[in-house]
Amino acid sequence: MNKIIIGEQIVKAFGEAGESRHVLDGVSIDINEGEFVAIMGPSGSGKSTLMYALSGTDGITSGKVLVQGRDLSAASDNELADMRRTTMGFVFQQPTMLRNLNILDNIILPSMRNNRRNAARIVEKARALMKRTGIAELEKRDITQVSGGQLQRAGICRALMNSPKIIFGDEPTGALNSKSAQEIMAILSEINADGTAILLVTHDAKVAAWTDRVMYMRDGRIAGELRLSKFDGTNIEGRAQKVATRMLEIGI
Amino acid sequence: MYNRIIRNDMFRNKAITLATILFVAAAAMLVSLAAILVVNLSGALNTLMKQAETPHFMQMHKGEIDHARLTAFAEQNSNIDEFQVVEFLNIDSARISLGDHTLANSVQDNGFSVQSSQFDYLLDLDGNVITVSDGELYVPVNYMKDNTARIGNKAAVGGKEFIVAGFLRDSQMNSSLASSKRFLVSETDFAEIKDLGSMEYLIEFRLKDLSLLGAFEAAYTSASLEANGPAVTYSLFTMMNALSDGMMIAVILLISMLVVVIAFMCIRFTLLAKIEEDYREIGVMKAIGLRVSDIKKIYMAKYVAIALIGSACGYALSFVFKGVLLENIRLYMGESEHASYADFFGIIGILLVSLAIMAYVNGVLRRFRKISAAEAMRFGISPEKPAGAKPITLSGNRLINTNIFLGIKDVLSRKKLYATMLAVLVISAFIIIVPQNLHNTISSKSFIQYMGIGNYDLRMDIQQADNISEKVAELEKTIKSDNTISKYAVLTTKTFKMITEGGLEENIKIELGDHSIFPIAYAEGTAPRSEEEIALSSLQADEMGKKVGDVITVVAEGKEKKLQVSGIYSDITNGGKTAKAVFADDSADAMWSIVAAELSDKSLIGGKVSEYAGSIGFAKVSNINEYVKQTFGSTITSVGQASNAAIIIALIITIMVTLLFMRMLIAKDKYSIAVMKAFGFTSSDFKVQYASRAVFVLIIGIAVGTLLANTLGELLAGAVISFFGVTTFQFEVDPVSAYLLSPFMLIGSVLIATIAGTSGAGQLNISEHIKE
Repeated sequence: MNKIIIGEQIVKAFGEAGESRHVLDGVSIDINEGEFVAIMGPSGSGKSTLMYALSGTDGITSGKVLVQGRDLSAASDNELADMRRTTMGFVFQQPTMLRNLNILDNIILPSMRNNRRNAARIVEKARALMKRTGIAELEKRDITQVSGGQLQRAGICRALMNSPKIIFGDEPTGALNSKSAQEIMAILSEINADGTAILLVTHDAKVAAWTDRVMYMRDGRIAGELRLSKFDGTNIEGRAQKVATRMLEIGI
Repeated sequence: MYNRIIRNDMFRNKAITLATILFVAAAAMLVSLAAILVVNLSGALNTLMKQAETPHFMQMHKGEIDHARLTAFAEQNSNIDEFQVVEFLNIDSARISLGDHTLANSVQDNGFSVQSSQFDYLLDLDGNVITVSDGELYVPVNYMKDNTARIGNKAAVGGKEFIVAGFLRDSQMNSSLASSKRFLVSETDFAEIKDLGSMEYLIEFRLKDLSLLGAFEAAYTSASLEANGPAVTYSLFTMMNALSDGMMIAVILLISMLVVVIAFMCIRFTLLAKIEEDYREIGVMKAIGLRVSDIKKIYMAKYVAIALIGSACGYALSFVFKGVLLENIRLYMGESEHASYADFFGIIGILLVSLAIMAYVNGVLRRFRKISAAEAMRFGISPEKPAGAKPITLSGNRLINTNIFLGIKDVLSRKKLYATMLAVLVISAFIIIVPQNLHNTISSKSFIQYMGIGNYDLRMDIQQADNISEKVAELEKTIKSDNTISKYAVLTTKTFKMITEGGLEENIKIELGDHSIFPIAYAEGTAPRSEEEIALSSLQADEMGKKVGDVITVVAEGKEKKLQVSGIYSDITNGGKTAKAVFADDSADAMWSIVAAELSDKSLIGGKVSEYAGSIGFAKVSNINEYVKQTFGSTITSVGQASNAAIIIALIITIMVTLLFMRMLIAKDKYSIAVMKAFGFTSSDFKVQYASRAVFVLIIGIAVGTLLANTLGELLAGAVISFFGVTTFQFEVDPVSAYLLSPFMLIGSVLIATIAGTSGAGQLNISEHIKE
């Protein structure tokens, strides 16, 4: 299987030399095309930092990150921006929307950059995605007029607009109640089933239970891994139990 | 701790801190100067009026005077301390020359007096009462200031010659606002020149108790004593003396207010940006129990330092400039009696500036109270409710680039935020365009028609010749045989007696000849066409209280002649009080004549000027452009310089404010920028977005500024111009400079400032600003 992301010996340090603190301490990780991966770990373990390093939204101190074979450290700011727009999609914990645009405009914003000639096609796609995620009737609403779960669905629509190869999710269900969280996971699972790779950062074993592989992090290093079968929509509790047990084994 | 915070913050934002200190220093300097000037002005004024013993009440009177009746009134009124009648001999300015200068173009009514015997003394520049010898002439100090006369110059009044022995301060007529000026001569000389002009009387009183002035005025009026002329009281003398310097002080204060407002804006934008940057920390400080006043102190500290440093620099600077500004007061009024207090008031002035800044900063920091600790810690930016612009959607946009769309949409949804920037840009556009239009208007050829000068090429002045009419006839013969001259007109100015409504006689200068050859622009009515018509300059009409259609009576060839006012025109020549008529008259002596000519080929003008200047010795030949330049070239030049200075100042303000405003926006928008960056927007996208916001606001600013400049600005400029006697005023706009070059300069400045101010936007760290 082709690897969409290869991370080799990634180090991310903060502070002056000599007194520096390693948030990522030589992490190596690969993500395959179409794979659904979760990164778990306690606060401060470096899981979010790893996700930002792999997506090129944050620089690294040493090591290497290849996205579709392209070395991120050799890419210019503009090339990184292009990659984020065309290859990657992002879903954050809090809904990251512009306050002066309505839901539909927020969803189409990244696709509309220098592309207004295709506006009709873009809007059509956005509407289809909104329908698929169950928020079709909200397109003209302000972002303050919808619930957190609805906003997160809009966030997913936005991430899918450019048909990315991989979606990064930083605690995408962290701000939602458990019912909404499961609904969001169902949508992500469906997207993954269509062939898009997903990398999630989460605290929640029930969320990680939807994925194919769970990576456990501690003190800036990968402390262990759990491979699961492809989720078939049944026995989520049992899968979550496995995730939690493995976590205890590793001692997190 | 505060020292460290101040130092760190100042070093981090060196340029902005320095600019803010500079604005504060400029404001402090101006306020301090104004305070120093006020104290000096009032002190010097007191000294002058004390030394000169200025009358408490003065009635001017033209016509017969009954000395006995006035003396009887003075003796009866117990409040009168002293009383005198001073003779003031009004002589036509064209008959007075000082050195090489004639006063023909003087706007003042120049007259002669002898030194008073009891009070109302004319003083020399050391404040002593002048004793004048025969053959000596003391000249009002304003003619020293404008370099018309120097000590030792020869002077002539009518045919009588004098030597300028010195300059005088006149506590009554010093001010440029007083339309009369007194020259001082000896009693013998006064008697000799008495027949050259008309006599006016200054009936003067000093009272024992000045507070009873009102009652005295009423008593004088009810006694029906001589009163054909204005009456002036002590307080009015004080006001007139103080007014021109007072106006300068007012202008300084106005400018200082403008500078303070700019300093406030710099502080506001920097401070708001800082608050946005520190939003989360402020939330934390509140959450751990620091009082709002404690948090405020941390932010106040820097501005207290800026206010104090700026004020101290401003105070020091005011000492550098006060000499220049005090020059006028020293010249016209002498030294102040309490000059030493002045510096103390200067300190009070800068303290006020410092306090105003601290109060303002304190006001801006009041928003700390409204910050919710929990929200600040969670979101790290201030909550903002977008308003308006809802119907404009990105999904509906097919016309403009997405980045430009986002820029414009942002302005429309945060109108209040952009209002300050808009106001600054409107003011900038206004102060760039108005002086420019004024300069363009007064330097345009058609404007000279508003100044009482026709549109001709050559002008030949025949003045101070023995027999003007013969010389004119001789000149006319030459011109008629000159086929390069396509048309010409002879205009002769004579003095006539005019009968006022009160039955008194007054002089009026009337320019006779055919006024239709080189017509001038009329504010009202038309040029005189028949022998029974006359046109008046606006100043002359104002003085006489006449309107178009009214009738005035003039004595010509020994007979009274009724003339109907056909029109009123603006005039800045000959003191602005002139008249034009077409009737023939052989009686009165001509004061001067001008021969105006138009050439069939304009390229010949230069050659013709030298040809006529060489062959005709008795006339002063000038190119009309040259004449205009001489008459008020210096005014045009000063307006031109002021206009250039205004452009530079406006551009500096624009750049400064835009730069700080953009920095504040970036701080406010860090979250949106991080979001867009995460989804693939680049630095250049942000530059386009912010530049479109700035240019969009600027376009509205330019439109409103230009509209205001052409309406309000035209009114303001018209008010200024009317001082010169020009009543009809309309901007003559140079479209290239006003509608192309000026907006271009503004757009350039705004773009440079925007790019500089938003350069940090693309470098923003996504994970730092997007994570919760």
